[in-house]
Amino acid sequence: MKSKLIIAIAAMGVAVLFSSCAKVPQTEIDAAQAAVQDVKDSGADLYVPEAYSALVDSMKSANESVEVAKAKWFPNYSKAKEQLAVVSQMSIDTKAKAEARKVELKAEVEAMIIEVKALVEENKALIAKAPRGKEGKAALEAISSDLSVAETTVTEVEALLANGDLIGSNDKIKAAKEKATSIKAELEAAIAAKGGK
Amino acid sequence: MVLSKNKKIKWLVIISFSVVAIAISISAIIVSQKVLPTEDLKLAREALTIAKEAEANIYSEKIYKESVQMYDSAMINWSRENTRFILFRDYDRIIDFAKRSKKKAEEAKEEAIKKSANLSKDVQAAFVTLAKKIELYNTLFKDLPLPKSVFDAHNKSKMFLSESKIAHERGKLKDAEVLFKKAEIYVNHANIAAGKMLRNYFEDYSKWKRLANDAIDASRGGNKVILVDKVAHILYVYQSGKVIRSYSAEFGPNWMAHKERAGDKATPEGNYRITKKKERGNTIYHKALLIDYPNSEDRDNFAAKKRKGLISRNAGIGSLIEIHGNGGKGFNWTSGCVGLKDKDIDDLFRLVGSGTRVTIVGSIEPLSVISEGLDF
Repeated sequence: MKSKLIIAIAAMGVAVLFSSCAKVPQTEIDAAQAAVQDVKDSGADLYVPEAYSALVDSMKSANESVEVAKAKWFPNYSKAKEQLAVVSQMSIDTKAKAEARKVELKAEVEAMIIEVKALVEENKALIAKAPRGKEGKAALEAISSDLSVAETTVTEVEALLANGDLIGSNDKIKAAKEKATSIKAELEAAIAAKGGK
Repeated sequence: MVLSKNKKIKWLVIISFSVVAIAISISAIIVSQKVLPTEDLKLAREALTIAKEAEANIYSEKIYKESVQMYDSAMINWSRENTRFILFRDYDRIIDFAKRSKKKAEEAKEEAIKKSANLSKDVQAAFVTLAKKIELYNTLFKDLPLPKSVFDAHNKSKMFLSESKIAHERGKLKDAEVLFKKAEIYVNHANIAAGKMLRNYFEDYSKWKRLANDAIDASRGGNKVILVDKVAHILYVYQSGKVIRSYSAEFGPNWMAHKERAGDKATPEGNYRITKKKERGNTIYHKALLIDYPNSEDRDNFAAKKRKGLISRNAGIGSLIEIHGNGGKGFNWTSGCVGLKDKDIDDLFRLVGSGTRVTIVGSIEPLSVISEGLDF
């Protein structure tokens, strides 16, 4: 009777021993990976590159922790699970940051488009005031050509913006603003010279 | 008999447990001797992050990719090894991948730093070169009567240069390089076309030089002589072979051409004389000095070209070419006259009388001097 008890205890021990081998947290891994991909798709690598880089590093670290756990006799995934939970939370935060940056950048570009359009209109009005007819037709043609380059750039920026290229549109509109501002200065100088004789 | 059987079982269990315990102990010892690739992978991952921060994925793309592939291979192999029975797992290959990944990541970082620094230098040097080319245009070509396509190209080049500078400021050197190259294509197109026009114009230089020298010689007896340099946009007054006055001058939009007919907005080239001084009230241009365009040479040329059909039958030769005021606008705005600032025509008006020689040339200086050694 006593020996049967010993055998039973031993069998139970072995059963407990092996049942304690935890399962790989595949659901958490898949969820975290999907979240990271979602963050990448949101353009975070472009708009918040540092935060995105930290997120990718954390995901890799979590994957390593999973393998560390797997490598043990008695795997314990609690650390990996914690890291995966952090990755999921980081993904939410990073995506939110990327979206916020996009909104901010879009607002900046849109504001600059309005500003440049206004400058273009101001310049057109100045061209109307500038020395014209035989007095400077060629010079005005050159300035008008310069202005049309700025105007075309605004159209290109609007197209880029519609395609979601916020960084490209931001660079272009800044250049267009510089151009429109310099044309304005040139026209004002020409008008002043005419007025001053 | 029963007791003996029980004893047998008891011993069997003890022996079995002992065997299992020994096996587990040996396995534990074996497993504990195995080095996990954890630390190496951590170092590789960190090296990759640092490399990415240095934009190795852009400036050392090949090496960086190799590093990433090695890290990924290490992870795949580790996962595969972990599916094997614990005693048979081998992490050496994984550690090797991780170490190579780290090494490659470090190499990629170094290369990226070097390449981005070089590219930054190249782009900055290119900005200087391009700015010089734009400046060359502004100095030499801006006032030339160029076709629209040429100044459009020049304007586009300026826009791309601005965009390139903005990209450079953001640290996006590759973008800056692409934009710079676009700017360069446009500026070269503009400068080559304008340069060709200028070279063609200077084919008459020997004639201008002769005219200018004659004019200066004519001033040696003490007479005042007006010499107009169209390219320099300067009107000189010579006396006794020396410049006694110089004023900035403006011409017609088609100033480079020699005047041939009415309405061509060109400024004539050749020897003329002041035929009339117009005080205020007699001209809308403050004060004016009328010259005797067309002279006999102009009339002969006009007639010859008309005969050859180079000038329309109905075209007139034009007249009323003056040196007058209302200038200082900063561009060529007259109908072919020489425009001076009001204060300058006042001064010149006092200085010269009717009959004063006026020589108008394309340029006193040769093209090599005008271009100041700039290559175009």
